[in-house]
Amino acid sequence: MAPPRPYWKGYLKLSLVTCPVSMMPATSESEKVRFHTLNRKTNNRVVSRYVDAETGKEVDEEDEAKGYERGENDFLVIEDEELESVALESARTIDIEKFVSRNTIEWVWLEKPHYLSPSDEVGHEAFSVVRDAMEAEKVVGISRLVLGRRERAVMLEPCGKGIVVWTLRYGDEVRKAENYFGDIGDGDNDPKLMSLVTSLIEERSKPWNPDMVQDPVQEKLKAIIESKRKSAKKGAKPKGKGKDEEPAYTGNVIDLMSALKKSLETKSGGKSRRRIN
Amino acid sequence: MAVPGRAQWKGYIRFGEVTAPVALYTATSTSERISFHTVNRETGNRVRREFVDSATGKPVEKEDQVKGYELDNDRYVVLEPEEVAAAVPESDKTLRVQAFISCDDIDKVYFDRPYYLTPDKMGTEAYALLRDGMHKKKVAAIAQTVLFRRMRTVLVRTHEKGLIATTLNFDYEVRSAKEAFKEIPEIKIKGEMLDLAKHIIGIKKGTFSADEFDDRYEAALAELIKAKMEGKTLPKRAPPKVSKPNELLEALRQSAGIKAAAEPKRRASKAAPKGRSKATRSAAAKAKTKTAAKSAPAQRRRAS
Repeated sequence: MAPPRPYWKGYLKLSLVTCPVSMMPATSESEKVRFHTLNRKTNNRVVSRYVDAETGKEVDEEDEAKGYERGENDFLVIEDEELESVALESARTIDIEKFVSRNTIEWVWLEKPHYLSPSDEVGHEAFSVVRDAMEAEKVVGISRLVLGRRERAVMLEPCGKGIVVWTLRYGDEVRKAENYFGDIGDGDNDPKLMSLVTSLIEERSKPWNPDMVQDPVQEKLKAIIESKRKSAKKGAKPKGKGKDEEPAYTGNVIDLMSALKKSLETKSGGKSRRRIN
Repeated sequence: MAVPGRAQWKGYIRFGEVTAPVALYTATSTSERISFHTVNRETGNRVRREFVDSATGKPVEKEDQVKGYELDNDRYVVLEPEEVAAAVPESDKTLRVQAFISCDDIDKVYFDRPYYLTPDKMGTEAYALLRDGMHKKKVAAIAQTVLFRRMRTVLVRTHEKGLIATTLNFDYEVRSAKEAFKEIPEIKIKGEMLDLAKHIIGIKKGTFSADEFDDRYEAALAELIKAKMEGKTLPKRAPPKVSKPNELLEALRQSAGIKAAAEPKRRASKAAPKGRSKATRSAAAKAKTKTAAKSAPAQRRRAS
């Protein structure tokens, strides 16, 4: 993977303890097969550029600035350095305001993970104190942090020698679950079915493994590119496969019972492959 | 009850030989707040974007824009949209459960976006069975299907009366935590320092509901813009004071509200910076915490 550049530098603070830290996103697009846009007619790259909306002339990159619209078509230019002096401690300090028990923040609130590390030797011990105490007490920390010109709630969770910082979604960004789940029954399940389904779960339980998140499409794209590289032109197009028919769903209790039983058989015996209808 | 919005996807979930019709609804939205425009510093006008040929500098029409993969410097292979589409397996609209994994075993760093997974048509019974079975065994399901023109792995987990399907990032999209943290030295904190930090956690322990959080940035930015419009110089802020290793224990004690006097021996020799430290301590505490109201008169008394 590409060498991670520090994405954010600042301070981690717990009460009177402060240490310098740096943070980078835990996810990266750098290994993804990336395409550029070409001009079909010339085979040259298509690039985007900015032109002045009034004069139509190209604008040099160093002349591009952030403008705050104070009146119609009247912009106040704000420099990035000026933005840094915004009067919020959270612009550069992750001050842990609160701790909550692990797993009390629903996953639906978790937005984007980042890796937080001490950025200077002076803070190694202080960083470790915060991390180890959270681990020992089985809690996560809650703080505020300005990222991308917004102040976010963040959750800090110890992870090995480091800390994972999750930005949390805003209240208006998570739709109310009851609007979607309101009609669903409370589950008056037949005990026999329950025991079958739990056996099925037990039988098919596995430890987590990153192989579960492979990307077959990316592999195919790489193969297509490779074959094109070799046979510079002969663009034999890969053909699409035949469509699978839509599966029938398992309707009533009797169906469910026999489907579950079959699932358990198939797994252990491996014979009956018939689709249930 | 009417479900708001349209389903992002409709299909089936299949576990073992059981198939149930389901729908996915996006559980989240993104809200943008403050927006700046890009302007030309020279003229103060807004700018607009144009797509041009890198060699000729001429604008390129939308229909002439194609995807190209860069082999090496300036050599590209063109991939037509049909070719890219052919790399995606045909969708049979079925979320196939590959495995169940223990909820404690899940590496959250892979989480991408959550969707509410609801029963569609008459599939409630099988749905409820899967939900309650997973709830009972404290597991989540790993399932795969073609979603949004990509073969995606999702994690299905119970949530209130329903299920949430979270798309997972691909293996190559997630940085290894081990790699990211390898430079951090192995330090295990024990003894008094750990106890003090645990004590501080106890003081600050509570509950948090994300939907009550307020973004103060907009207001702070409005202040900044106002100051600039009034021609004031914007304040440069000094970096916070970092706790040095030899001050760490003292900082923890002060944070925990423990009296330094409780440890009489060593302090006389060297540690305490300004000797008689009741006053120093309360002054420091006052500066940092919000006990100002109480300690201010006390401090004044001492000072006089």
